[in-house]
Amino acid sequence: MVRAPVMIRLALRNLRRQARRSLLTAAAMIVGGALLIFSVSLGDGTHEDWIEAGVRMGTGHIALQAPEFLATRRIEDRLPAEARAAAEAALTRPGIAEHVVAVVPRLATGGLASSAAGARPAQVVGVDPVAESGFSILDDKLVEGRYLESDDRLAAYIGTGLAEGLELGVGSRLVLTAQDAGGDIAGQFVRVVGIFRTGIPEVDQALVHIPLGTAAAWLGSGADVTTIAVLLDRSRSVSRVQRTLQRGLAGPIGAGELTVLGWRKAMPQLDAAVKVDDLGQYMFQGVMFGIIALAIVNTILMSVLYRHREFGVLQALGFTPRQTGGLILAEGVILTALSGLLGIGLGLFVTWFFFRDGLDISFTWQEDWSFSGVVLEPVIVPMFRAARVLQGIVFVLMVGTLASLYPAYRATRIDIAEAMKFER
Amino acid sequence: MRGSADPSRAAVHTREVWKVFEQEPKDVQAVRAVSLAVERGEFVALAGPSGSGKTTLLNLMGGLTRPTRGHVWVAGHDLVGMSNRELARMRLEHVGFVFQAYNLLPVLTAYENAELPLLMSGVEEGERGRRIGELFERTGLAGLEDRRPGKLSGGQQQRVAVIRAVASRPDLVLADEPTANLDSVTSDALLDIMEELNRELHTTFVFATHDPRVMERARRLIHLVDGVVASDERRGPEPDR
Repeated sequence: MVRAPVMIRLALRNLRRQARRSLLTAAAMIVGGALLIFSVSLGDGTHEDWIEAGVRMGTGHIALQAPEFLATRRIEDRLPAEARAAAEAALTRPGIAEHVVAVVPRLATGGLASSAAGARPAQVVGVDPVAESGFSILDDKLVEGRYLESDDRLAAYIGTGLAEGLELGVGSRLVLTAQDAGGDIAGQFVRVVGIFRTGIPEVDQALVHIPLGTAAAWLGSGADVTTIAVLLDRSRSVSRVQRTLQRGLAGPIGAGELTVLGWRKAMPQLDAAVKVDDLGQYMFQGVMFGIIALAIVNTILMSVLYRHREFGVLQALGFTPRQTGGLILAEGVILTALSGLLGIGLGLFVTWFFFRDGLDISFTWQEDWSFSGVVLEPVIVPMFRAARVLQGIVFVLMVGTLASLYPAYRATRIDIAEAMKFER
Repeated sequence: MRGSADPSRAAVHTREVWKVFEQEPKDVQAVRAVSLAVERGEFVALAGPSGSGKTTLLNLMGGLTRPTRGHVWVAGHDLVGMSNRELARMRLEHVGFVFQAYNLLPVLTAYENAELPLLMSGVEEGERGRRIGELFERTGLAGLEDRRPGKLSGGQQQRVAVIRAVASRPDLVLADEPTANLDSVTSDALLDIMEELNRELHTTFVFATHDPRVMERARRLIHLVDGVVASDERRGPEPDR
């Protein structure tokens, strides 16, 4: 009965009529919208950094392993050569290959590292030095010597913790002992070519990289590996690539030889950290927008009470109660939508300043912070995601609509005859 | 009961209508068993002292409040049993209101206020402009179309309210103390306009008033006392049907 343009015109005029009140409410929404986008972009950037660091230090965005290896970490739970070949072939197929940045085979086992100074538990990983340096950030953490090279044979790249514990330096010799593929204990002599420091104690004290060929010969595993680690273009590609791989590798998966793990499954602590951080952010945003919503409710409700007689007039002229409520809803939604969009725009503008160099918060840090195999970086580079902006818009509209519902309901409940008598 | 006994022929028709307001310590019977019919084209004043039930009866006639008992027909439509939505539609299509306090929407210009019921009814733009323009000319408001109510005098605001009430050509215009806030000259001018509209457009006017000027001009004067019709006097010829 009442045309939408009439409602919108009335709503806009009413908002302009209470300009100061509207502006105050809009200001709250603008700040909220800007903070929402800024904090979400920073949060996403932080998480992407964590994931990037985590997957590069760990088993990539996707790890192809024998099903039991994640739990046992034992060499007998390794990928047979045929499964490895099938997996490597699958990674070159269309639909997957365009997302793949790097693929590295690894042969990992737990063992003991010993020198004349003593022995320490070690996580020994046989790697392809060339492929690994394009994948892992471990070579960037060099403090002495060099990373492994393609023609190395009896070389080892160890952490500062292990070097100190075993009193090793570049050129020092150490012996690695572990259970081989046949179940026998086997030793391998290697020489330290480089020492790294990640800032993660458990890595610096235990991780040892040696050439894959050396590891295979020492452990008698032939062309088998324990993991094929895959680095993708971005963390959001994981689900799609994982699903495609699972379809493409249905044979080995069905035979129980292979499983395709996303980083969330392979690194549950990192996954939990991202989720906890997200939860904290959602709670912060929830509280912030809860307060903003109350301000909107207050503003619009005051407006409803102030305009009691006016609503009586509108209904006398032919507005239904529902249309009267609709007018209030329109005012609330228009106010919050316009100011929310402005806030989101402002948030993007502010965030844009930090897209290139990031936000440096190192002045608040005393020492390295690490968790779950990830060293936190003191420079946070925000991340732009169109979906987040859309989510922000939907969220802002939702807050505006919810906050306007009660005042709109109140407007539907007026008694016209009473409203006409109403004295301001 | 004066007037037509057939509700479908009257502009407004009430039959044994009651309005009781629940109140402590005793309910208030604002309107008691009022039966009357106002024919199309009549110019009627409901008079009576404060608390006699004039405004309540007017609200009942306009479907702004529901009767406790009895029936009200407007242009042949029985208001009893109508939903709020149906009542709103009935008001939009059949009834115009003029209030004591003008009650123009402050955010709209004079023209937009007058235009609102036509917009709500879906009358097309050209027709809206023609009707409103003619009424602004007729009521001496031409040139004031773009002014907001705050920039108009009381008399001008009330004339805009009258235009708003009659522009959609309703069967019935209900005016509650329309001259109460106006001086005598302005009141006379306003009444001239309403009489003219009544005469020329055959719009039915029902006033709730205790202004002697309105009572003098009314061609039918109904006195209410304590919610009951005490007298119903016709002073002019029956309107053309």
